[in-house]
Amino acid sequence: MVEYTMRLDPLSSTLFALADPTRRGLLARLANGDATVTDLAMPYDMSLAAISKHLKVLESAGLISRGRDAQWRPCHLEAGPLLEVFEWLESYQRFWDRSLDSLAEHLKVMQKRKPKKP
Amino acid sequence: MTATIDISSMDEPVIVITRIFDAPRELVWTAITDPKHVALWYGGPGFTNPVCEMDLRPGGAWHHVMQAPNGMQFTINSVFEEIVAPQRLVWRTIKDPNRNPAPPTSVNTITLEERGAQTKWTLVARFDSITERDVTARMGFAQMISMGLERMAEHLKTL
Repeated sequence: MVEYTMRLDPLSSTLFALADPTRRGLLARLANGDATVTDLAMPYDMSLAAISKHLKVLESAGLISRGRDAQWRPCHLEAGPLLEVFEWLESYQRFWDRSLDSLAEHLKVMQKRKPKKP
Repeated sequence: MTATIDISSMDEPVIVITRIFDAPRELVWTAITDPKHVALWYGGPGFTNPVCEMDLRPGGAWHHVMQAPNGMQFTINSVFEEIVAPQRLVWRTIKDPNRNPAPPTSVNTITLEERGAQTKWTLVARFDSITERDVTARMGFAQMISMGLERMAEHLKTL
């Protein structure tokens, strides 16, 4: 996998981080409490290095933080960015929900104006 | 309405929204592409659209200002990419420099399918996570966002 260095706005960073099922799984595990890289890697058929790469992406997106103890650096879920993206997703869905309701009403009005085709 | 945010083997984060309208396709097409009509429903009840200018051709601009019931205004600027009447409309939103954090930009595709006397409206919003000018290559994404995340969100709110 080729890696690129990118600077993304926070919401896009979060979306990118969430776009991978392994990363979503790691977040789900951390939602239940802090864990070390070894703990996190256990359910996966993947090297520690590969898991670490995923954790780096999550850390760049501010979704997790790492403890400073050199011996064990537990990963900790940072809920803030996730809540932001969910709030944005919710508002996006609500926008379309409302708009499409209005569009449906507007279509009725448009049809009342037009005589129906035989 | 159905709004699905599903896992699939796509490369980028995508949201899919569908709705069936009790109207013929040509009418729905007019309602979504004629700015005189768009201004009357966009945003939903209580919202107005003081500016709605749509230059309906590839490369044409869609300059839009939506006003919420509380008076707050939102500027949304887009560029049309594809127009195939009466079935397909593609536009790309442009990053708003005045908002921080700005909403993510996306390429949006609306397709209209005839279903007898009804029309199926489908929006596929593909989010472009590459927003910085110094990025020179696109990076692929693994999957779309899963609805399973909603349960995680509920759990997170309790933390």
